[in-house]
Amino acid sequence: MRGRMCVARAALATGRSVARSFGEMLGRSLAIGVFCTGFAVAAIDGAARAQAPAREPSPQQPQTAPSSVNLAEESQDQPEREKVHADISTRSVRVTSSFTGTEIIVFGSIQNGRPEKPQSNDLYDVVVVLEGTPQELTARRKSNVLGLWINTQSLTFESVPSYYAISSTRPLEEIADPVVLRNHDIGFEQVRMTPISGWESGITTADLRKFKEAVIRLKMNSGLYVQNEYGVVFVGGASLFRTTIDLPANVPVGTLKARVLLFRQGQMLSQFEAQVLMQREGIERYLHDFAFGFPLFYGIAAVIIAAAAGLAASSYFGRRRAR
Amino acid sequence: MHFYLPIAEMSANIFIFLGMGGAVGFLSGMFGVGGGFLMTPLLIFSGIPPAVAVGTEAAQIVASSVSGAIAQWQRKNVDFKMGTVLLIGGLIGSVFGVQLVRVLRAAGQFDMVVALSYVTFLGIIGSLMMIESANAMRKSRNGRPGTGRRPGQHSWIHGLPLKMRFHRSKLYISAIPPLLIGGLVGVLAAIMGVGGGFIMVPAMIYLLRVPTNVVVGTSLFQIVFVTAATTILHAYQNYTVDIVLALLLMVGGVIGAQFGAVAGEKLKGEQLRFLLAGLVIAVCLKMAWGLIGTPNELYSIAPALAGGH
Repeated sequence: MRGRMCVARAALATGRSVARSFGEMLGRSLAIGVFCTGFAVAAIDGAARAQAPAREPSPQQPQTAPSSVNLAEESQDQPEREKVHADISTRSVRVTSSFTGTEIIVFGSIQNGRPEKPQSNDLYDVVVVLEGTPQELTARRKSNVLGLWINTQSLTFESVPSYYAISSTRPLEEIADPVVLRNHDIGFEQVRMTPISGWESGITTADLRKFKEAVIRLKMNSGLYVQNEYGVVFVGGASLFRTTIDLPANVPVGTLKARVLLFRQGQMLSQFEAQVLMQREGIERYLHDFAFGFPLFYGIAAVIIAAAAGLAASSYFGRRRAR
Repeated sequence: MHFYLPIAEMSANIFIFLGMGGAVGFLSGMFGVGGGFLMTPLLIFSGIPPAVAVGTEAAQIVASSVSGAIAQWQRKNVDFKMGTVLLIGGLIGSVFGVQLVRVLRAAGQFDMVVALSYVTFLGIIGSLMMIESANAMRKSRNGRPGTGRRPGQHSWIHGLPLKMRFHRSKLYISAIPPLLIGGLVGVLAAIMGVGGGFIMVPAMIYLLRVPTNVVVGTSLFQIVFVTAATTILHAYQNYTVDIVLALLLMVGGVIGAQFGAVAGEKLKGEQLRFLLAGLVIAVCLKMAWGLIGTPNELYSIAPALAGGH
């Protein structure tokens, strides 16, 4: 694993090395060396300190649009700005007939990172968010009608993430203010749930809140909304981190979006985005495409298979019994 | 060993479903019933979405009834004319039932209607069977042979128009009652995932007075074609037939049925019926509890269904 990550890191590093200072290069390769061998933590700290002299993050309120961050990074005026680089262990998840879920490793490093002072609150935080394809979702509420529990209220929400995993270095509320988290769509409470139908059944704002809470609760119960508050760990010092995210078998098939966000003192410094392709393969894909693409023929085939299976079984057991 | 079910969209332990098919197959072999009324609730209890359970079970009933139907046909125990009338009713009922499933699913009421249908039909059939078999057991203990009840020779059925002659059954009756019975069975096949023999057999014996030797063959003839049509319609309109799951159940079912048939020979008819009645009532109560018992979670979520296609 470490070897693979090193290679990935190295590739990243070479790809982006154009127009960078020699000192930076040195610092980065040092970081790689430290990660691969796992010793001399002090060295990287030293190098980092050398290349990134004390830059106080401005205390002003939320860093908003990630695009502005990228702009700042692209211009060479502020080379000392922290930047997060990351990658994912698997860029494509294949759902085959033996699919029982999988594990996704997100790893990365902080470029131009400053030394950490363990006593102070001046620490880097990393939040990794993995989101499934948004789906239209209907939530229903039962109530007692003449002694029977029957669905009486329903709300259909537009594009609710089918899956939502958050992994962070510490609890989200310690990392940043709710406002900042909301601006970056982090946290179950921030999941956008816009009702598109169901208002006609007389649902109030209070009901809507309960419905939203129920959706999150049910998603959590089925393992589709997961949060790991200490899931991201720094390895080999300050600048390299990794986290493991479980992708259970009941995650609806579709493209997943991964985001890695770097925070310091409650502010988002840099963000990285990538996609994880999740698709059916082999017999699984064939059957699914057949059933949804040609449902009439699929139904006829199902009947033929069933009848053949029944006849085969009876002739086999019939002959055995006759003997 | 797990297998990802393509329609149910879940990873399932294949041995659980093979075992489930085997257990229900054993019981259906022992009691000589189709087993759909046990299988569908079991699938629902094990987490398969009710609509997928119903659609898939229709395919499995095709497999489990086709060989029986052919065997009965070879023994000339099928009244084709009666069977065809029942079948026409059944096909109409099935088309209607599958539409009903689509509408109810979109309205979020399908799970409740399935449970309610099971509670109603299993409750009625189970209690009647239990009373009947208990009486028969008591009679046989008293030394008197338990003869089948033959109520009065004429009833309202003989007053209906559209009379037809059914040679094989030696009957001259209106075509309306068999059409209605077939239609009801078709609707039940579509919404409950059953063959419907548990309704059709008593109805043919007691309402239509079809001779017992052709009842089973004729009802199997109808069941094969109605469940086949139901399977195709469910696959076409609701996308709820999981062929992988159906195959697992079929394999388990045919093996279980062989052992069940052997076990069934060791028990008396009324004892078998009493046990079956107990089982039917147990499933009914479990379903009823789901409707009456206060749920831990009032809310439920499901992917929104696109309205029609």
